Amino acid sequence: MSNAIEIHQLHYRAGRTFEIKDLDLSVPAGAIYGFLGPNGSGKTTTIRLALGLLRPLAGRITVLGDTIPENAPHVLARVGFVPEQPHLDPVLTVRETLRFQAAFYPAWDWPWAERLLRQFELQEQQPFGRLSKGQKGKLMMLLALAQRPELLVLDEPTDGLDPVVRRDVLSALLDYVSQRRATVFISSHLVHELERFCDWIGVMDNGRLITAVPMERFKNGVKRLRISDAPPTPDSPPFVLLAREPANGTTETWLVRDWEPQMTRYFESIGAVVNDVIDLDLEEGFVELLRTFRSPRS
Amino acid sequence: MCLCLVTMIAAMAAGRLAGQSVERLQVRADSLLREWRRASALADMVDSLKHGRAAGGTDTISVGALRIVATPSPARLREAAARAWPVIDSLYGSEAQQLAQRPYLIAPYDPDTTSPKPMLRGAIQVPWDKDVASLAMLLLTNVPIGRPDRALQNWLGGSVLPIIHPLQARAAVYVQLVTAPSQAARSCFLGVIGDCRNALALSESPDPLQQWYPSTGERRALVFRSFAEYFGYSDHGAHKSGLQQCGAGSDAACTELLRSLPPGALPRPLTYDARAALVQVALRLGGRAAYHRLVATPGEPIADRLAGAAGVSGDSLVSLWRSEILAARPAPVTLPPWGPWAALGWTAVFAVCALRSSRWRAS
Amino acid sequence: MFRVMLYSQWKWCRLIVVLGSVAGFALPLVSVQGAARADSSPLQAGELLQAVQSWGTLYPVLAAALGLLVAIATWAPDHRGRHVHALSLPVPRWRYVLLRFSAGAVLLAAPILALSAGAVLATWSATIPAGLQGYPVALAIRFALAVLLAYAVFFAVSAGTARTAGIILAVIGSVILVQVVASVANVDFDLLGKLQVAVLNWPGPLAIFTGRWMLIDV
Repeated sequence: MSNAIEIHQLHYRAGRTFEIKDLDLSVPAGAIYGFLGPNGSGKTTTIRLALGLLRPLAGRITVLGDTIPENAPHVLARVGFVPEQPHLDPVLTVRETLRFQAAFYPAWDWPWAERLLRQFELQEQQPFGRLSKGQKGKLMMLLALAQRPELLVLDEPTDGLDPVVRRDVLSALLDYVSQRRATVFISSHLVHELERFCDWIGVMDNGRLITAVPMERFKNGVKRLRISDAPPTPDSPPFVLLAREPANGTTETWLVRDWEPQMTRYFESIGAVVNDVIDLDLEEGFVELLRTFRSPRS
Repeated sequence: MCLCLVTMIAAMAAGRLAGQSVERLQVRADSLLREWRRASALADMVDSLKHGRAAGGTDTISVGALRIVATPSPARLREAAARAWPVIDSLYGSEAQQLAQRPYLIAPYDPDTTSPKPMLRGAIQVPWDKDVASLAMLLLTNVPIGRPDRALQNWLGGSVLPIIHPLQARAAVYVQLVTAPSQAARSCFLGVIGDCRNALALSESPDPLQQWYPSTGERRALVFRSFAEYFGYSDHGAHKSGLQQCGAGSDAACTELLRSLPPGALPRPLTYDARAALVQVALRLGGRAAYHRLVATPGEPIADRLAGAAGVSGDSLVSLWRSEILAARPAPVTLPPWGPWAALGWTAVFAVCALRSSRWRAS
Repeated sequence: MFRVMLYSQWKWCRLIVVLGSVAGFALPLVSVQGAARADSSPLQAGELLQAVQSWGTLYPVLAAALGLLVAIATWAPDHRGRHVHALSLPVPRWRYVLLRFSAGAVLLAAPILALSAGAVLATWSATIPAGLQGYPVALAIRFALAVLLAYAVFFAVSAGTARTAGIILAVIGSVILVQVVASVANVDFDLLGKLQVAVLNWPGPLAIFTGRWMLIDV
């Protein structure tokens, strides 16, 4: 099994405005796959489709080698899921919630659950409905981790949490991943956060997957170039030209993807000069990517 | 026509009156009155038939001795008569033959029109779309047989008529035996035949209150169950204080209240249904001539007449009546035997509907 | 799995179950209050039956109310959580629904048992005149069946989606529309009456609720 999640030609429609069409997505086994996208881009819908919570109109979904939704119960027993909103029973206390969850998962790890309970400083007798947002986030992560999943599907697990809680939650997650070599499929729009630990990145917008590449390639491949004397229509460049903006006089700023250092030779061949190659961080790259994707030319 | 008949009957009777005792004269007078009523009814019927024939003709339906004169209509009177006749015949026996001379007059009308209903004086008007069972019931509750004497009617509380639903009627009597505020009724239920006679008002007594409601509790229960409102508000509240004293435990007050009731208003422990059931038992036991025997001796005590009609002793008759009433004990729980299974089946059906509910509900 | 589901539902239903049990226990006792008095006379059998019959109308009401409230409370955590947690659990949908249904049914045993105990106690403590008899077991069985049936009906409705609710409403609306059209067109077609007969008479689904509910009867 090379991919933990494989989505092929997925089609889904919600209402009249939102549609996911012909979506292809692969999450390699053992990867920490960051799933980026602005609000309303279809991240949560894709995750719900992948877990069999929504019915697709067409396409094929395979998770951990089993098809969804036909084998959803079998798959879900091996998947830890943290939904965007904590949908647990609000009247059950933390301890009761753990017992409830443990009853459904054969691989539930009580010692580790107890350890995480202490580590997260959760009060056992506190009803879930009265927990703070941070405590809810911690409990959700605890539940997902204590069931010893092969795949963790996390839908904006740190959204709205304060930095301390976010650090606790993510460190617990990374601990687990390092021990178990589990696959993580994590959606977020907190780009900096994903930059630190993801090894794959997928960007979604308006129901379409814009790009899906290894993190290093994404980070290294998106550059801002300062170019002098560039021709109006450059002839077949070896990189993807995402944007081109005039700067001072004959100088322009180019935003390119799939950049490699030896490509400076291309500019010599067209009579232009590369003055500067500027590295972009993930967030800048992500924003530029979205901007390019949404512009009329794209 | 009417006048002719009455005059003729009166003239025939007048010649035979002289030299008779007062009692016999009374009996004869009753008999004459019955004859006069019968003649009057016949005269009315003849007039009505003439009128009906002139207006649009009539149909005559014959089933056994039962005759129905009706204006033409699609009403299923013949089938109804075929159903009613065996019941009537079994009740009145040989006396049922007199129905050949006492036809029903029925004027069915179209229920879906506003045009005038057919005119047939003295006729029972009935919508012609009534089903056969309803028409048969109509025939059974309006049998035009000669009314029995006043004593029998007074005791029974009406005419002797077929009981439409005998089982249900007997079941209702069972409930009366158990729930009537009368010690006699309760003792009868428990098997004391003498008390059955009391409860059925078969024993004649100059003081029915003492006979039917001999104990303090019964009288008090009767006042408050049947007459609380009457004594509370009648005569501008004149009995109110008596009612309060009765409620406070004064038997004298209760007795006085009950004695102040108008004649005939004191309810008998059991209702018409109970006595009608007794008459039915007597007629069934006595065979085809039983009804004739019952109405043939109007001067005798009711108990003797019933025993004579049945051809058994009074106690045997009452005993048999009691056994039949007890045997008709109504089913206490209204669930049919398979009711629980049906309910469980429906529960399972709805549960399966829930189990098959769609998992596609998240959005 | 069943234990945790039962516990979860107990937390949602406990108030309903406790109040229902109290009502179920008290109702038979209250209905024979007159008969239990020391000064009651056998001559008051009629009054006793009347009282028992009057109070008897509350048994089907209590059964329906219990079924409705427990069914709603059973689905309440899932409805509040928009079914996300329920659907992400590793059990097939039918099994999850069965767990919920069974847990609710088990919780309903409490008011049923309370009513049974109340009925037995009431029959035992009352002075029942000759000719009348107590039927605590029959009453309790009937109450149990009515409660379960009401629970199953409302549970099934609650288990449905918005589409299911729409279909149910559409069917009800269609029946009313047909009846209105028939009466406007002066067609002799009593659909509502026929439906009522079919539903409320044996072997109709709601027949268990109709008729007399008598703890003491002839």
